[in-house]
Amino acid sequence: MIDVEDVVVRYGTAIALDRVSLTVAAGEMVALIGANGAGKSTLLNALSRVVPTASGSMRIRGCFAHVPEGRQLFSDLSVDDNLRLGAFRATDRDTSWIYELMPELDGVRKRRADSLSGGQQQMVAIGRGLMARPDVIAIDEMSLGLAPKVVQSLARQLSRLNEERGLGVLLVEQSARLALSLCSKAYVLETGRLVAEGPSRELVNSHFVVSAYLGSPLEETA
Amino acid sequence: MSAFLSYLVHGIAVGCGFALIASGLIIIYRVTRVVNLAQGMFAVLAGLTASSMLDLGLPHGLAEIAATIASAAAGVILGLVAIGKRGTSPEASLIVTLGVGIFGYALEILIWGDQPRSFAGLSGLLKISDLELPKQYLLIIAVTLLVFGALEVFFERTYLGKTLSACASNPGAARLVGINVTRMGLVGFALGGALGGVAGVVLTPLTPVSYDSDMPLFVNGFAAAILAGLRRPILALAGGIGLGVAEAMVAGYAKPSYQSSLALLLAITILVVQSARRSSLHVAEQ
Amino acid sequence: MTSVTRERVTFGALVAGSLAAAALLDDSALSLYVLLLLSAIVTVGVSLVMGHAGQVTLGQGAFYACGAYTAGVVATSGLPPLLGLVLAPLAAAALATLIGVPLLLLRGHHLAFATLAMHLIFLSLVGEMTITGGDVGLQGIPRLSLGAVKLDSIRSYAYLSCLALVGIVLVTKNVLASRPGRALRALSSSEVAAASSGVPVGRYKLAVFALSAGYAGLAGGIYAFHMGYLAPGSFPVLLSIEYVVMAAVGGLGTVSGALLGAALVVLLVDALSRIATMSGMPSTAPVVLSYAVYAVLLVSAVLFMPGGLVSLIASLRAKASKARALARSRQRNIAVGHDTSRPETSRHGSPS
Repeated sequence: MIDVEDVVVRYGTAIALDRVSLTVAAGEMVALIGANGAGKSTLLNALSRVVPTASGSMRIRGCFAHVPEGRQLFSDLSVDDNLRLGAFRATDRDTSWIYELMPELDGVRKRRADSLSGGQQQMVAIGRGLMARPDVIAIDEMSLGLAPKVVQSLARQLSRLNEERGLGVLLVEQSARLALSLCSKAYVLETGRLVAEGPSRELVNSHFVVSAYLGSPLEETA
Repeated sequence: MSAFLSYLVHGIAVGCGFALIASGLIIIYRVTRVVNLAQGMFAVLAGLTASSMLDLGLPHGLAEIAATIASAAAGVILGLVAIGKRGTSPEASLIVTLGVGIFGYALEILIWGDQPRSFAGLSGLLKISDLELPKQYLLIIAVTLLVFGALEVFFERTYLGKTLSACASNPGAARLVGINVTRMGLVGFALGGALGGVAGVVLTPLTPVSYDSDMPLFVNGFAAAILAGLRRPILALAGGIGLGVAEAMVAGYAKPSYQSSLALLLAITILVVQSARRSSLHVAEQ
Repeated sequence: MTSVTRERVTFGALVAGSLAAAALLDDSALSLYVLLLLSAIVTVGVSLVMGHAGQVTLGQGAFYACGAYTAGVVATSGLPPLLGLVLAPLAAAALATLIGVPLLLLRGHHLAFATLAMHLIFLSLVGEMTITGGDVGLQGIPRLSLGAVKLDSIRSYAYLSCLALVGIVLVTKNVLASRPGRALRALSSSEVAAASSGVPVGRYKLAVFALSAGYAGLAGGIYAFHMGYLAPGSFPVLLSIEYVVMAAVGGLGTVSGALLGAALVVLLVDALSRIATMSGMPSTAPVVLSYAVYAVLLVSAVLFMPGGLVSLIASLRAKASKARALARSRQRNIAVGHDTSRPETSRHGSPS
């Protein structure tokens, strides 16, 4: 579904992404982890064509939704409006399935997006992305600023969507723990370069990843 | 009817015109972040076009609609020049609107000459007990209320209205969702042009317009928009009417030539006070 | 020749050239020349404010008018005209300082609107006051006399304007080269960065604003003596806009840009009005053409030449010297025997 090959992105003279390659197959959950400033958001922005690539190729088969860092909701519009705007490119603007998926939003349909809690806002952001009926959804820093219980609930919903509807997920996270426990495959980005990639269970045990990103051996978070 | 009441009614009617211009300014600003210095030009263009249409034999109503369509089209053209080129900053766009407004002068003088033109509006007075209300004033107020009502419905109930609001709220997110923000900006400019056109069409029977009538209209419209905080168009209605009434009182009881200066001073004062408060907030946060 | 020496030589040549023009042009060309010089003086100020302090000013015409009226009022009340000329820039600068304190809190479009509004308010006040002659204006402003020399020919005002322009150019260059001037350049790129490195942003912005107003006031003062009469109608809002066009077209923030821009616009508009007043053209043609030209120049400058003529010339020069260097290296390589017709890097690997 997503096929990135040797992509280079420059900001002026600085190189933000240095020949990065990445694939997300249909129905796959893939993690992209790395520290702040590693270039993770840049890759998503390149996929959304918000920033231009200097070289390399990107192929996206199907519909791609990008849930940006910091949610970036339409803050003065209602939850319902935010969701319906997510379907701008789609033909069906019906929001009922989102409220079924995320019942916490059902009671706040008409409230302004910026009056919600952080967890609810993240749900709206993901819901807005889902309204485009994507084949792959990329979520940038989903867990930022949210309580662990909220993050677990969101993670569960993503797993459900992946199992039940075959939704591909590209999870971009500083929190390696979450990303590796949720996704079957992972890439590690450091200052614009891929430094590790492979199945999550292998990366979890690799010394490199553990010392740099996990601190201590991965514990069960469920 | 007392002098006070006649000033009041005149002020409300003229204020409605300001409100219409202000609403166009606000919509363009919210969707594109550009302050349209040529907003007055839409009103002048529409007024002049309507007078020509009437001269050509078009009936009332059709002439005004044709004029409004013309000013909406002018809005799209202005938008194309102001925001069509990628990477134009809002400050640059501001200067561009100034430039296009001046080009508008050239065009207007070329087509209509440099003398003021007008056309007859609704003549006669509506008499309610001892109130004598000129019918044109009532028309202005009625049209304004209708237009503002339509704007509310447009922004609150229609998908296109919500799309425009999304661009105003968060253009980056709007792009991610697939909205062509530039195209929506042009829609905003078209809407702003149409609103300016309506203002021109209802105000021209009161005061003849010529190419240089746009500046006072812009100044008053912008002042009303500032009073509305450049946010929701509906607030501009209150701002415009308040401004119109204040100016009418100044013109009636003091000196007529000071009335636009009043609007300007009011607007500047509010801007400066807002700025001062904002910068002291920044200091406090540190 | 070093660039400093080259600059000095160019400057000297320009000064000599402008004085020569003042000496040699005939009377009809001279009044256009005076207009050009006075516009250039104001535009240097506008370019400074807009280019270095990053502020949009649509009200410079008001400072021009302030200087003109100050000079006119002083001279018509029996005081020595020279005093009027001296007070003109001071009054304009004082006005700018006064309104600059609240106004410069604003930015971008708010400041643009506020300066525009200021011009309109000033016009309306001047049109009401009796001391300025109200709507009719001031008549019979006596000629300027510097000591024993009485300036009563257009040529003398051309010389005076030349000297004034040279003077303010020198002042501007010194200001830009000084420490505060360099801080100003920091201001133009990022106000936040400048503020955090200790630059008193507010004070510098005000100083630049007042200085540019002083320039406009000086030009206005000369204008008052040159014309002999003043009316509010001589200073429409369009005047302020003209100065912005001149500054933008020439290149904001540079002295040479201001001079180029002023010269281009004044000469172009004059040429057009000559064409427009030829027989056969409608009577409104001059106005239509000049508005159209302002508009097209302004929009093109903003959209396609953000650095103005100055940056266009600089980029043309850079391209030319690059082409020359390339040609030179090709010649050298051919002489030594290298084939330079294929590109240096191959497809399957980068040089690094």
